[in-house]
Amino acid sequence: MTAIKNIMANFKKYKFLMSQLILRDFKIKYKRSVLGVVWSLLYPILMMAVMALVFSNMFRFQVEGVSYLVYLLTGIITFQYFSEASNLAMTSVVNNFTLINKVYIPKYIFPLAKCLFVGINFLLSLIPWFLIIVLTQFGLGNYPASINIYYLILPFIFVCLLLFTVGMGFFLSCVSVFLRDVFYIYGIVLTIWQYFTPIFYSIEIIPAKLQFFFQFNPIYQFLEASRTIVLYGQCPTALNLILCAVYAIIAMAVGCIVFKKNQDKFIYYI
Amino acid sequence: MIKLENVSMRFNLGIERNYSIKEAFISIFDKKRRLKKTDFWALSDVSFEVKKGEVIGLIGSNGAGKSTLLKVVSGVMKPTKGKVTVNGQISPMIELGAGFDIELTARENIYLNGAILGYSKEFIDEKFEDIVEFSELRDFLDAPVKNFSSGMIAKLAFSIATVVDPEILIVDEILSVGDIKFQEKSKNKMMEMIKGGTTVLYVSHSLESIEELCDRVVWLEHGKVVKAGNTKEICKEYYKKQLNK
Repeated sequence: MTAIKNIMANFKKYKFLMSQLILRDFKIKYKRSVLGVVWSLLYPILMMAVMALVFSNMFRFQVEGVSYLVYLLTGIITFQYFSEASNLAMTSVVNNFTLINKVYIPKYIFPLAKCLFVGINFLLSLIPWFLIIVLTQFGLGNYPASINIYYLILPFIFVCLLLFTVGMGFFLSCVSVFLRDVFYIYGIVLTIWQYFTPIFYSIEIIPAKLQFFFQFNPIYQFLEASRTIVLYGQCPTALNLILCAVYAIIAMAVGCIVFKKNQDKFIYYI
Repeated sequence: MIKLENVSMRFNLGIERNYSIKEAFISIFDKKRRLKKTDFWALSDVSFEVKKGEVIGLIGSNGAGKSTLLKVVSGVMKPTKGKVTVNGQISPMIELGAGFDIELTARENIYLNGAILGYSKEFIDEKFEDIVEFSELRDFLDAPVKNFSSGMIAKLAFSIATVVDPEILIVDEILSVGDIKFQEKSKNKMMEMIKGGTTVLYVSHSLESIEELCDRVVWLEHGKVVKAGNTKEICKEYYKKQLNK
């Protein structure tokens, strides 16, 4: 109980610092760009447009019975969030070394702030995402997406995604302090991960034997749950939702334990 | 207020070389290439106590462990052995402007740096004018800090760091900031803070300012306390020792 109280007090104390760090990232991200924050809205749309053109026209990809545009966009923004946030979180501790070496700040703040910063971008990209869903009702693409009561489950899925990413961020930022090679290794891991996540293809095209292994891909679980809601207008299966939560909790637990155990040693390695 | 009991701090010099998978891999096969564990004790068995309102000077040659000691007290580093007890809010002025982001404007940096030093939003809002006034940089408030000269950055940083009335102030050689006018001003500000009952840990190579400010002095050499006590006597002895060598 006291431990939780301490954590909450700590959060409260550093809430302002956290908001300042997030604000800084925003300011720097959109500095000197004419469209500024509009890019957060525009970027996923343009990405979707490009990928839709390439995959559905050139490679003739499609997913039977659902709006391919929404299918694609859901995949893009989900994976984009995960890869960008975990990448930034990974480098955050090393990049803020000058600070860590001079002032006492709880170190978990850096990866967490990055995950939240990208999280805000993610929320912004939900606007064009929803816009596309609405437009499919009016005949955009070949099939309409669904708007239904199960949308209320989406926040739960997004929270799981956030927790999973934060846990990964803690783990990666901690390991990368001791082993800088992780920066490069993770870049490759992410590429592999991306291709083993059904972002632009349907899991149906994978041989049935291999499909089972996709269950172990947390990002697939998050995607599957939100796609079931948005594309099929159905409630995700209980197993699917439970797995979302389980992956989030495992990542968070491992990340926190590894980070907490090693954070006092950071200063000798940076 | 501050109590150090048998504090020791070990650095492993071997570890701090570039450590990568390649090195780790080679070291499995090649025993000679294995990182030698060369321990370096930046602090060994340091004990002293600082009472509320006291101004303590730390002297010693370069690498004697002064800055490490300050880092241990401010919580940046955890001591390998021993115990540090600190009661009260600390304002660390170990290195000014460590938290600046040069891409941001001075105005934005005041908030960012304030947050890093642990100030609340309300506090910065309230003291914003004081900070700007003291820094003499009102005309450049909305210019990015990357266009500032180093003197201007130091002035801004000093103004942010000293706007609080901290219970404990940790100062590492910062009185020589900015132009002559600002140096004088910052010195007065420090004096004001010290007279206001703040507990101060002060590191400097300028014996003159140590003698002027400090109630007591701790002399460190190779991570050990050589002597602690009366400011004048120890400074004199230290000065002699330094020149004889």
